[in-house]
Amino acid sequence: MTRQSMTDERVLALISAYGAEPAVWPEEEREPAEAYLKAHPARFEAALTEARALDTVFAREGLPEMPPGLADRVLAEAPTAPLAHRAGRGLGAYLMTILFPNGLRWPAGVTLAALMAGLMAGFVTAPATAGSGFDSDEQAVVYAALGYGDLEAYMQEVDG
Amino acid sequence: MAQTALVNRHMPVVWRVAYRLLGDRQEAEDVTQETFLRAWKMLPDWEARAKFSTWACTVAVNLCRDRKKKKAPLLMETLPDQSDHGLRPDQALSQKEASARIMALIEDLPERQKEALTLCAFEGMGNIEAADVMDVSVEALESLLARARRKLRASLAEEQDS
Repeated sequence: MTRQSMTDERVLALISAYGAEPAVWPEEEREPAEAYLKAHPARFEAALTEARALDTVFAREGLPEMPPGLADRVLAEAPTAPLAHRAGRGLGAYLMTILFPNGLRWPAGVTLAALMAGLMAGFVTAPATAGSGFDSDEQAVVYAALGYGDLEAYMQEVDG
Repeated sequence: MAQTALVNRHMPVVWRVAYRLLGDRQEAEDVTQETFLRAWKMLPDWEARAKFSTWACTVAVNLCRDRKKKKAPLLMETLPDQSDHGLRPDQALSQKEASARIMALIEDLPERQKEALTLCAFEGMGNIEAADVMDVSVEALESLLARARRKLRASLAEEQDS
């Protein structure tokens, strides 16, 4: 929706569905709706106040505490063989597809993607090793080459 | 280990969604385990057509719906009315009690409204992804969200008045 076509009704609908914080409004409407809101603040004051009260209640709710050891129990059921080595695609590309379906978004993403691509090229052309488990020597080489102990350490670093 | 990364990244959301929809930690754990069991079977044939998080939440929400459906007749026969979750006026609410109170109010919402609120308000999911997970249109999702918020506001106002 463009700024021209934004209406009182639509802004009120956004507030009533998503709350008072424009950051959580649908991305495509956020900018025009925020501009409309700024242009006519008095019209939405009551709706915003009402929505903000509920947003505060939600924010106070916090995250429920996870059952201890659940990740271990889930992983205990995971297959020990490689998940998949799709024809023509390396393990790294496969993992990247699952973990980052929309691509790398952080600033260092491009560099990191290039580095991963280079490492994967080395990985697929390197002599095969005997390991058959997913926690394989090949992956250890890849992550060590990236400067991390394993994929988890790498994820922690890039995710902050 | 790649599976560890996948679990660490996506399992908390799956568990939280299941917990908020079912209101039971053990059942939420069962749903989480079942979701990932399905993931392990599905991953070898994974195509990059969907985000893993969307797929996992869709499976979890559907499993929760199945469980709710199975439980519904039993609940109607055995559970007392959930009409009064109120606390005594002189009873100060601790953070934990307040949280439990909000959970109870959300629990009273119709299922679809609860799902919409859980995905968008609590998990911060975008409208398109949440609509995908729930298999509804974005317009329907917005309507569910607005009705859920309206009902919660009314419930909270009622409590304050009493």
